[in-house]
Amino acid sequence: MSFLIAQSLINGVILGTLYLLMAIGFTLAFGVMRIVNFAHGEFYMLGAFGALIGVTWLGLPYPVTLALTIVFAILFGAVIERLVFRPFRNDELSGMIASLGLAMILQHGALILFGPDPQAFPAMVSGVFKWGALIVPKSRALALGIGIVILLVFYLFLMHTRHGRALRALVQDQEVAAVFGVRLEIMYPLGLGLGIALAAVAGGLMAPLFGVSPFIGATPLLKAFIVVILGGLGSIPGAALAAILLGLIESFTSSFVSASAADIVIFALVIGVLLVRPAGLLGRAEV
Amino acid sequence: MSVAKSYPTSRSLPMGLFWAAALVLVAVIPWITGSTFHFHIAIMVCISAMATGGLAVTAWVGQLSLAHAAFAGLGAYTSVLLVTRFDLPVLLGLPAGALVAGAVAFVIGAPLLRLRGVYFVLITFALNELFRLIMLDVPALSGGSSGIAGIPKLSIFGMTLSSYEEVYPFALLCLALVMGLLVLIRKGQLGRRFGAVEENLALAEASGIPTARTQNLAFTLGSAIAGFSGAFLAHYVGFISPETFGFQLSVSYVIMLVTGGRLALWGPLVGALFLTPLPEFLRGAVEYQHIIYGVILIAVLRFLPQGLAGLPAQLSRKGDRS
Repeated sequence: MSFLIAQSLINGVILGTLYLLMAIGFTLAFGVMRIVNFAHGEFYMLGAFGALIGVTWLGLPYPVTLALTIVFAILFGAVIERLVFRPFRNDELSGMIASLGLAMILQHGALILFGPDPQAFPAMVSGVFKWGALIVPKSRALALGIGIVILLVFYLFLMHTRHGRALRALVQDQEVAAVFGVRLEIMYPLGLGLGIALAAVAGGLMAPLFGVSPFIGATPLLKAFIVVILGGLGSIPGAALAAILLGLIESFTSSFVSASAADIVIFALVIGVLLVRPAGLLGRAEV
Repeated sequence: MSVAKSYPTSRSLPMGLFWAAALVLVAVIPWITGSTFHFHIAIMVCISAMATGGLAVTAWVGQLSLAHAAFAGLGAYTSVLLVTRFDLPVLLGLPAGALVAGAVAFVIGAPLLRLRGVYFVLITFALNELFRLIMLDVPALSGGSSGIAGIPKLSIFGMTLSSYEEVYPFALLCLALVMGLLVLIRKGQLGRRFGAVEENLALAEASGIPTARTQNLAFTLGSAIAGFSGAFLAHYVGFISPETFGFQLSVSYVIMLVTGGRLALWGPLVGALFLTPLPEFLRGAVEYQHIIYGVILIAVLRFLPQGLAGLPAQLSRKGDRS
């Protein structure tokens, strides 16, 4: 029994880290630009395809591919901000509806380019780590390790660089930040670009585990939604708490009850939290 | 936050007659061409327009629901189960579907509608997923992922509407009833109350309008209409599954509504009329259909915030200025 608990704990943390990668980008885009980005999952999908192209077509090493994915995603995010979201800066609802359109364009664009069939991604590592009865596949450990490194780098960037401070200032108060010299023309594209890059790198990390197809974006999008609803839209600490919580609940409910029970428990939790604390566990109430 | 700040004002009578004539002309196209395919498209336009009309009622109080497909699904499953298991006539199944969808919306609406703006959108998105998951989990009722096939066709007083030509007049009649209901709501006292709530919730509340009850009423009516359209769709197509009523369907209703005009009375009809046949004009480029939908959606939001239904007014305003 205690073995099952420990195994669920480890699986929950792995899931939670991946959800966090998705959710932080999503919540950052909302915090900075007030955009609920329904296309976020499609950037996860594009990141997975990017990694596939890098590793299998171009023969690049996996870490180089991931780094390139991040760079391209930031640039792509800046372009998307300019083309799609800029006109809706002060209009949350229209921006959100526009992102629904963007999601359709990206998903079906990928469908035309790559076809509907799932594609296998070559395994980056094989074998398992074993501690007594505990088993962690090395592929999962790798994804977890890289994910944690990326999250740490991102944390340091946010807390200790000029641009990171500017982003945090924007999340707190757009007008005051602008008055104090935060340049919106740079920070909006950067905020969206970074958010998208986190989703894309999550896709690149997950590709060896789950394979690649144009439709893989839906589930991570849903998880990111759940995490930010639970944690509070725009709140990064809230996302961290909620992502780990979600990972643990999912892994424990599916080991002790069933996978479909996990989904229903989580949705019940989401609806409960939204009703009791609409702004999320650690979110700020809307004024 | 709203796309169009105020309800567009009603047009003058001659313009109204012009549009009514245009509408009749479009509606009779299938009879002129006699093509079964055109009949099918026209029926699908009617069903989409009804569903989008329901979404519009909720939008009129300033809330955008992404759970609209789930309510269509509730109506569809209610009607199908009543008709197949209890031998209820289809003609009663349709309103029963509307009733159940409306009742569920009424019960969950009260707590749900305390959320506004993007938070309401998010929770309705989650609800639509929850509906799909729960339905997949009760295969005894929903047929699970393989769905329910061979659903009895639409029938009126024992007369089965077996051909497209027979279904179409009934679809038109149902659409007319739904649009009639929309006109009644919009032109009556209720419509003014909806408008007040949409434009300024705090002011409406201060003016003595029970805003929570008003929003819930709109949500209930809109979802009931969704249930009706879903039941119609089920009996027309003959197959439903939990996946039929997923996120994609909710999104396509939103696209039709926004393209037609989120706050315009005729927006749902215009949106459905424009977007439902569109794939047929794109034949040979079917794979581009969704991309074109996405581009249209973003372009409409950007350049026609009041939707296609607001286009004549927007053009004439431009004309006045120059």
